Parts: sequence; structure tokens; C-alpha cells
Amino acid sequence: MDRLTIAMVSDFFLPNVGGVESHISMLAANLIKRGHKVIVITHWHPPSRVGVRWLSPGLKVYHIPLRSIASSATLPDFFCFLPYFRTIVLREGIQLVHGHASLSSMAHEAILHAHHLGVRTVFTDHSLFGFDDAASILTNKLLEGALRNVDRTICVSHTGRENTVLRARLLPETTYVIPNSLAPDQFRPRDEGHSVETVTIVVVSRLAYRKGIDLLIAVAPQICKRFPDVSFIIGGDGPKMIDLLQMREKYSLQDRIQLLGSIKPADVRDVLTRGQIFLNTSLTESFGIATLEAACAGLYVVSTRVGGVPEILPLGKTEDFVGIEEQEEGMIMFADPEEDDLVQAISRAIQHVVSGLHSPQKAHDRVKNFYTWHDITERTERVYEDVMSSRPYDFWTRVQRNMSMGPFFGPIFTVIFFVDCLFYAYLEWWLPREDVERSYGRWSFATFGEALACGEAAPCTENIDNPVSAPQEL
Amino acid sequence: MATRAREVEWERVLWKRQPFPDNYVPRTFLLSLSTNANFRPYTYGSLVLASCTISLHLSVIFVFLAIFVRLKERTLDPRLLVWISIVSFVLFYTLWEIVEHLGAEKSRLVDRAKTVKSSILIFLALLALSPVLRTLTSATSSDSIWALSACLFALNIVLADYTPAPVGRHSRERLTSVLSVNAAISASVVLASRLVDDVSVFALMLVSIEAFALFPLLRRRLQIVPVVFPTLTALASGLAVSLTAALSPSVACLYVAVFSFVTLAAPSLLVWAQQYKNEIRGTWDAAVPKVNGAARPR
Repeated sequence: MDRLTIAMVSDFFLPNVGGVESHISMLAANLIKRGHKVIVITHWHPPSRVGVRWLSPGLKVYHIPLRSIASSATLPDFFCFLPYFRTIVLREGIQLVHGHASLSSMAHEAILHAHHLGVRTVFTDHSLFGFDDAASILTNKLLEGALRNVDRTICVSHTGRENTVLRARLLPETTYVIPNSLAPDQFRPRDEGHSVETVTIVVVSRLAYRKGIDLLIAVAPQICKRFPDVSFIIGGDGPKMIDLLQMREKYSLQDRIQLLGSIKPADVRDVLTRGQIFLNTSLTESFGIATLEAACAGLYVVSTRVGGVPEILPLGKTEDFVGIEEQEEGMIMFADPEEDDLVQAISRAIQHVVSGLHSPQKAHDRVKNFYTWHDITERTERVYEDVMSSRPYDFWTRVQRNMSMGPFFGPIFTVIFFVDCLFYAYLEWWLPREDVERSYGRWSFATFGEALACGEAAPCTENIDNPVSAPQEL
Repeated sequence: MATRAREVEWERVLWKRQPFPDNYVPRTFLLSLSTNANFRPYTYGSLVLASCTISLHLSVIFVFLAIFVRLKERTLDPRLLVWISIVSFVLFYTLWEIVEHLGAEKSRLVDRAKTVKSSILIFLALLALSPVLRTLTSATSSDSIWALSACLFALNIVLADYTPAPVGRHSRERLTSVLSVNAAISASVVLASRLVDDVSVFALMLVSIEAFALFPLLRRRLQIVPVVFPTLTALASGLAVSLTAALSPSVACLYVAVFSFVTLAAPSLLVWAQQYKNEIRGTWDAAVPKVNGAARPR
């Protein structure tokens, strides 16, 4: 397909760590590898991350001076982002905006603004939301407002897709399911040859209610009682840490349950490979990248049956302990989010691992083939292709789509849309697009060489001399 | 390709590469969706009965206000009011004891002795404090006092705990109900400071403690008693209206309107609005962990 100039927009990006953050940087790097020009627009992290930065595989990051209000999300004010956004889009010659994360107001606003500039839009939703609490109702409405203006939506799992279609009232045909992926080389299993005598169960998770830490607190003492040679390693930190410590104290399991506190992303693999079984007790999860990473590192996985987790790994017929061949197929064991069921599942998993039927290397090799960045990037490209070949919504269609959001929110959002148009028209007058300095185009070894050669012949041949060069030509 | 793709069964998995486009809509799409799974239609009668507790609470406030106006206009002898509140305290305490007894919970003699002791203590403390309370807000204009007490009573009504607390089940006091009691007592304090003599202040504060601190406890106990509670509500609202009617017929009309809205109109509104209930449940909802033993708070 044609090379595109893509802007990834999200509130959530490096230097923060998390699923969305690493997804954006990996996807951007892989798109660059395939010849596209990719930039990232996010908010600043003063004092260190401000202005423009280049990250290692030639990824340009714009840090917009917008203050984050809570957990790194900016205030949804709809307009403050527009002047920066317009200048960046014009300067970089952006053709497509890809917003990420449904709680990122920057992504929503970018989608709203992009159409003024004739830029096409894609949105990736990474999370699951309910429908019945006040926070969900508000954020779902904001999401719906943004997705009335988006061309295509990507979800990370089939469950996530159903959720997004309902939340934003979209046509299912305009939503795509493209899973996350991981870098399998970063999650190599431990060398084989260790005989499995003592089983270690690993938990790597934020210690919060939504991660089901209450279940872990209930289950761990029972498992320790039932299997005298099983121990736990728990990585991560959060509000439930105190409860875990109390549990450990109460049952005097200090030598069996190790609490590591927060661990750096680079150390996750080393923590994972210290054990044989990975336990995920989440109560809701749209994809469960941590579970996948553990499976990739050769651990046998026990998880609660929630959200998109049942989709990510093949489930064997391990429930009844049938034939060996059939057991080998399974990489994950599910339990309902109940104490008794989870204890049962962990017990079976321990027996499975002790019996030596689970081969870490084999599991790693299988996961490596399930999810590759090459495949994911190709599928994302196909969505881009689809967007670029479709017709954009014209002005009145967009007004109608905004009005169709309901008798109350529809007019509000339409007013926001009109004000946005007026603000954009003002910016066109205040800062004419001819005055916006264009960027030099894409980085490659060839252009780097050229630039060097030019620099030797005649210094200062920046594109300032050539400001009208259209970005499409580059 | 297209025909071959249809032959293969689509699977709801991500790890397998399937011969379907990424925006393929399977037949099973949204199959796990369930709407109004826990739907329980309300009946008008039960809602009317449930609304009695709100009416009762409102009528207690209205009666209190009527008493205050009479005290301020000196048409009610404060000494008589003190006697009335002592008698009603004894009456309601007997009712409380009966409810406790019917609930088969033995209230021990020690508890009763404690009750007598603390009620005498409160009595004496109020008596000692009433000169202070009388001059508490003498530097503030009456308009501010009316506005303040109105706000505080509104807060009391909004935050009051209307859930039943049957005998034998010890439910924890919620923060909002504590706030509610505090708001009502503060409102009474600022109102009492408008009265002219110490006995009136004492009498009003005695009534306020009984009406806003002690009576809600009894109200929550009585709430599920079938015949007694609606009767009590009817009597209390009748008393509120009749006491007010002598002072201001227009306010009495307003009270009647409020009572009929709370007991008759609001339940029918709720029943009508229930047809729009659309609760969506599916696999994406956060699961509720089942842990043996007591449910853990979040």
C-alpha cells in the first residue's frame, strides 16, 4: 500500500509504562519499519519531557503543554488542543490520525479536529467499561461523541469489540478486532533442565480491587496449606498491598509468599521465569497482555474467566485429565472468579506442572507464532487502507451524526462541533497555513546520507529555503 | 476464498489466524448480551408503603417547625412542652422496648439503666447549656438564621437514612446518616437561639434531640412493621398539617401537596419510568469475586 504519514495520538505514552503505552510505541516502530512516517502526539511530562523528542527507531514525539488531571489523562476541554494539533498536522503533512485509549481526551479531540484538515481517523479502544455507574455513563458519552466522527475503530478482543459497539453505538462492520502483541524475544523461558520439585506460583499485577487481589488473598493460604512445597512470588504494588501483608502475617507465610513490590518492565521476565505457574485473578480484562507475556515466558497460566482473556490462549481439555496429547494443547486453565473454583483450578495446574507435562520451551514456541508484530502491523495497515479508500463524512452528515446522539447530548455535542469549526476558521486566518513551516520529511539512511553530502557541499540546506514543498512529494 | 471462508467455522479466539476479515461480524456477535437480567417490576402499593418513611421524617420536621413558631410567638408554654416531650419520650421508649421484645432480642437490665442514666445526663446538660445557646447567634441577623436552618434541614432530609434496620441485625451507621443528624441538631440550635427565654430554648432543644437523634432509630426499627407504621405516618402527617393550619393555611396546603407528592405521585412516576429501564450485562462486566466468609469491602 501507499506510504502514509500517521500521527498516533494518546494521553498515555512513554515515559509512563503500561499496556497502551507499549502498544503505541511498538506499533509505531513496526509501521516505520514498513516505510510509513509515524509521529506521536501526547501531553508533556514536565520538567523532563517537553517539546519534541526523538525515540530510538526514528519516532518523533510531540509533547503538548497540556496538564494531566488524573492518572495521566488530560481534561476534556475540546478546544485547547486544536492550535497545536493543526500546526503539527500541517507541519508534518499528516494523512491519518490514530487515536488510542477511550479515556484519552487528546485522542477524542484529535478525531474531532482531524476532519477540518481533511485527515482520516482510526481509533483503538483498549479497555472494557460497564454501563451502570456514573463514571462509565459520562465517559461512554464522551467516547460516543468522538466515535461519531471516526472513520474506523479497532478493538483488541472480540469481547472488547462487543463492548465498544454497545458503548459508542457503532455499526459492527466499522469495527475491527486486532489483538495486542508482544515481543517474544523479551520473554524467553528459563533454560530447561530444572526438575520441578517445588512449584512457584507467580503473580505480576497492579494490586488493586479490579485485579481481583481479594481472591488472591483468599486463595493463597489455602494453596499453601494444601501443598506444603508450593510458594508464591507476587510482583506489583497498589492499594491492596496492605491486605496482602496482613494475610501473610495472619497465616505466618513469610517464607512461602514473597512480595516484591513494584517491578520495572525490564525485570518482568526475570520475575516470571522464577516460577512455573502464572496466576491471573483479574475481575475484568480486555486483553490481558500480562497473561500472554507469562505464557510466552513458558509459564502455565491459571486465570479467571473474565473479559477477553478466554480468547487469547488455546484452552486444552485439561479439566478431566484425559489423554496426554490433549493436555499438551492447553496453555491456560480457567476458573470462575470464586474462591473454591480458583483453588480447584490451581490445584489441577500444580498437578499438571509437577507431572512434567508442561514444557516451557514448547509453550514459548507456540505463543511466538500466535502473535507477531509483523502480522498485527499488516492487519492495522489493512484498516488504514480501508479508511483511505472510503469516502469521508461531509459536513452535514457529521452534523446529523452528532445530532443523532440523543435529545440532550446530541445538541450539546453539535454545538461543540460548530464552535470547533469556528475556532478552526479563526486559526486559518490567524495563522495561515502557508506560514506553517513544513518538516523535512521522513528519516532514512538514504536521506541521511544525502543530507550529509549536501552538508559538506553547501551547509544550511534546510527546507526553510523551500517552504512550499508539499509533504506528499516527500 | 469467500466460499472457503464460510465453510470454516468462525471461532471466538485471537490466537488462531482465521480466514475471515478483521471486521467480520459473526453470527454469535453480542450473543452473550443480556438486558434487564435482574429486572424486578415495582408494584405501586409496595412503593407507597416504602415512601411512608420519607413522609414520616418530613412530618417530624414540620411538627418541629410548628412548635418553634408557637414558642417564638409565645402561644405555647415552654413548661408544658417540656412535660409533653418527657411523656412522649416515655411512650416511645416503651414502644421501642416492645419492638425489641417482639424481635426476641433480650434487652438487659444493664442497658436500661444505661439509657436512664444517659437521658438524665442529656437533660441536665441541655438545661445547663440553654443560656449559652440562647445568646449564641445574637450578633447574626434573623434572615441569615432562617436561610441557614432551611439549608441544614434540606441537608438532613437528603442525607437521612431511610433504609429499614430490623431488630436483631446490627447495621453500621453510615457517615451520611451521622451527617444528617448533625445537620438537624445544628438547625435546631440556630433556631433555638432566636427564642427569648432559657426555658423555651431548653424545651426546643429537648424536642429536637428526641425528634432528630432518637426518633430515627425507632423509625428504622418500625419501618417493616405492617400496620403500625403507615398508621403512625398518617397520624404524624395529620398532626403536622393541623398544627400548621392554625398558623398559616397556605403553608398547610403546601405540606399537603408535599405529602401527596411523596406518597402518591412519586411512586407512580417511578413505576412509569421503569419501562425505560435498560440494563445491559455481558462478558465485559467486572466480575464480583466470591470469597467464602464475609464479603470484603472494596
